[in-house]
Amino acid sequence: MKKWSDNVMWRWLLSFFRPGKGPRINLGRRNVLTAGALGVGAACLCRVHPQASGRVFNPALIRPPGAVDEQEFLSRCIRCGECMKVCPTNAIQPAGLEAGIKGMWTPVLNMNVGYCEFDCTLCGQVCPTDAIRELPLEEKQKIKIGQSFVDKNRCLPYASARPCIVCEEHCPTPTKAIWVEEIEVTNASGQKVLVQQPHVDPELCVGCGICQNKCPIKDQSGIYVTSVGETRNSENQMLL
Amino acid sequence: MTDLSRRVFLKQVALAGAGLQAGLLSPGLASASTAPKMSIAKYRTSPAESEGVAEEAARLTRQVIKDLGGMSRFVSKGDVVWVKPNIAWDRTPEQAGNTNPDVVATVIRMCYEAGAKQVMVGDNPCNAGERTYPNSRIQPAGEKAGARVVQLDKRKFKKMALNGKALKDWEMYTDMMEVDTFINVPIAKHHGLAGATLGMKNLMGVCGGSRNRFHQDLTNVLPDLAAFVKPKLIILDGIRVLPVNGPRGGNLDDVKRKDTMVAGVDQVAIDAFGATLLGMEPKKIAHIVEAANRGLGTMDYTSLSPAESLV
Amino acid sequence: MARSTRKVSAIVWLRRCIQTLCLLLFFYLFLQTAYHPINRTGGPVALFFELDPLVLAATWLAGAPVPLTLLFSLGTLGVSIFFGRWFCGWVCPLGTLHQMMTQVRGGTTASRLNRAVYSPRQRWKYLVLIGLLAGTLTGLNLIGWVDPFSLLYRSLATAIFPAFNLGSHALFAWLYESDPGLGSMRVTRVSEPVYEVLRRYLLVEGRPQYYWGILIGLVFGGILVLNLWRHRFWCRYICPLGALLGLAGKNPLLRLKKDQEACNDCRLCVAVCPAGANPDGPSDRSDAWKPAECFFCWNCESVCPKQAISFEFAVPSREHS
Repeated sequence: MKKWSDNVMWRWLLSFFRPGKGPRINLGRRNVLTAGALGVGAACLCRVHPQASGRVFNPALIRPPGAVDEQEFLSRCIRCGECMKVCPTNAIQPAGLEAGIKGMWTPVLNMNVGYCEFDCTLCGQVCPTDAIRELPLEEKQKIKIGQSFVDKNRCLPYASARPCIVCEEHCPTPTKAIWVEEIEVTNASGQKVLVQQPHVDPELCVGCGICQNKCPIKDQSGIYVTSVGETRNSENQMLL
Repeated sequence: MTDLSRRVFLKQVALAGAGLQAGLLSPGLASASTAPKMSIAKYRTSPAESEGVAEEAARLTRQVIKDLGGMSRFVSKGDVVWVKPNIAWDRTPEQAGNTNPDVVATVIRMCYEAGAKQVMVGDNPCNAGERTYPNSRIQPAGEKAGARVVQLDKRKFKKMALNGKALKDWEMYTDMMEVDTFINVPIAKHHGLAGATLGMKNLMGVCGGSRNRFHQDLTNVLPDLAAFVKPKLIILDGIRVLPVNGPRGGNLDDVKRKDTMVAGVDQVAIDAFGATLLGMEPKKIAHIVEAANRGLGTMDYTSLSPAESLV
Repeated sequence: MARSTRKVSAIVWLRRCIQTLCLLLFFYLFLQTAYHPINRTGGPVALFFELDPLVLAATWLAGAPVPLTLLFSLGTLGVSIFFGRWFCGWVCPLGTLHQMMTQVRGGTTASRLNRAVYSPRQRWKYLVLIGLLAGTLTGLNLIGWVDPFSLLYRSLATAIFPAFNLGSHALFAWLYESDPGLGSMRVTRVSEPVYEVLRRYLLVEGRPQYYWGILIGLVFGGILVLNLWRHRFWCRYICPLGALLGLAGKNPLLRLKKDQEACNDCRLCVAVCPAGANPDGPSDRSDAWKPAECFFCWNCESVCPKQAISFEFAVPSREHS
């Protein structure tokens, strides 16, 4: 006669509570403790890097818009590469050591390769762990991921009296963050010419990097973005 | 032309120099000696809703071509046509950053009505083509009108000898240069450096390579392009124009309705008229003056006695 | 006898279909991770991560708020309690790639035995898991380096797909330039239409490229090559997700049953076992079938010439303990 306690499901559920009957995974206590210790030890060792506590900031560590604060970001990011795949300009790249060794292969923006498209929120849409939060477009457009700076030693209207303004042309903010000043300069032939010299308004610039990306000085741009001013980090700021 | 002979043609073009191109691509002047060189059409009203604007675009385009003698003056039966609108920016039609899609669609339809075998539409954009083509609505409008809307193929940019003042040679899109008829369909906008971006500036979309270097000498680069590409027909969209904050625009408040279109064969005259639509003086725009000085056309468009219509 | 063989093989074929479908789904979602007008992707592109309980564990242990979509992975965990590492055997696309790579090297049963047999080193993956979890708890979340979906996606995104994309564009550019052919029969008459199709559905015009992509690609290739040395090397020795699912599924409801009398010790079952789960174990304590390793792939049951192996709903029998 079949007892209800002979039912497979019931006996199976019971088997969880009766130790010693099921198979064991014998890892060895010493091995387990070593593995745990290595994990904790590595975590402690990584705190040694001056960037780990927000004491110094890496100018090349430009995170995607919607990224959370750096310590939180490094905890959430699973280095899956979804954002790197979706970024339409190929700007999002795997980090090297910009975020320390523990940040290797987390996403950083390289404005020489691409730029952050102003009308795009795709990286936030695809991130599985919300390391990059999905934001409505209007909110994303107010987020600063960095600040652009004109390199007057290279920028053509400053350094060689040649007209350009490509950066101003591409600046996407509703009121352009790049404004030009028409200046009379002397060119190489000794003639007086009018050039438009670009300036950046740090209150309007969102750090999208299209200026750096489109600048005709291809090897090292005449205008470039660094991480300072990023909205997500109250310490990495320069403005009052 | 088969693919093989097209490539042979191209090698000749690339090697021979400016003289050869000018002869192959200039408009049929013999037949056009009595036909008007320019036509202007204005719309009586300024409809607000998009269906009204679409209707306006179609009617103005048809009128302005009709006044030139009809599309068959430029497109023969069996021709392969390239319609080159401005699809440079990730903007909607209301923002006036690109050519009006209904203008483009009407041009395509008129080409087919004139017997074109194949009409292609494409531009080398500033923003990513996968955004600009659909968001400008030129891609759906063009496809609906039966054209092959083409994202440019990187392999088809070939160095060609322009032998211009600023550009000795540059990468140009072979398919655009090889067609039987090339129609330039720009929109009138302000430009921070050039003053205005009209027909000649629109030809930058035929170029590949690092076009961001052009800005160092736009005054000479644009006439170089105009002399090399020599479109058979230019149709300027002046329905919505951007008199400030061009060429990218974005703010709807910057857009002005001019409800006007102009078409013609004289690139300089078209650009001069376009400048007036923006409230600018043509002689203040350096590349228009330079092009006129080189004999590519005349700045004094009234001297061409343009056919004027009110639609 | 013939009828039961065919019935068992059907499960193996079913498993292969489902593995293939999951792999194709992974590739499809990968390709859909791109701009679609206006400002959206082409579908639930992070689906596999949402089914991955290791990602859930990592996010939760790191003290971060857990996005609700990750809770789907509790389903994966839940089913594993019943069916052990079914996920590794039937769903995991990285596992499928490892399985395919494993089949590349054939050989006699004897040579395959060496590569397929259980090794105590298979415990390493549990230690990897523990180390990673300990680190995550104390502020160093490196689970993303070792999570199988992160590994696969990252390698695809930064190395494999860009290499394929750039290589394809280069091939068709070369065909266009050099225009090979005989007389009026040119290769481009075929290659250009093919290129059109590829550009529409597979290739990307933007030609993405990535720093570190070469290293990421080589690491991935290296991990795949390890399968030639030991069957499903990654799954057995390293995968922390496999370890997690093994822990959850170490007492499954579905169990392997071996008919001791029918068995002739041919050890074919061991040679085809991808998991090193010791299917020929005589059910004694030390040498038994290892449910925490088993992928429930049904290879052993399919291949046994004596039909000595079967799977049934059971509990570890008291008389055998």
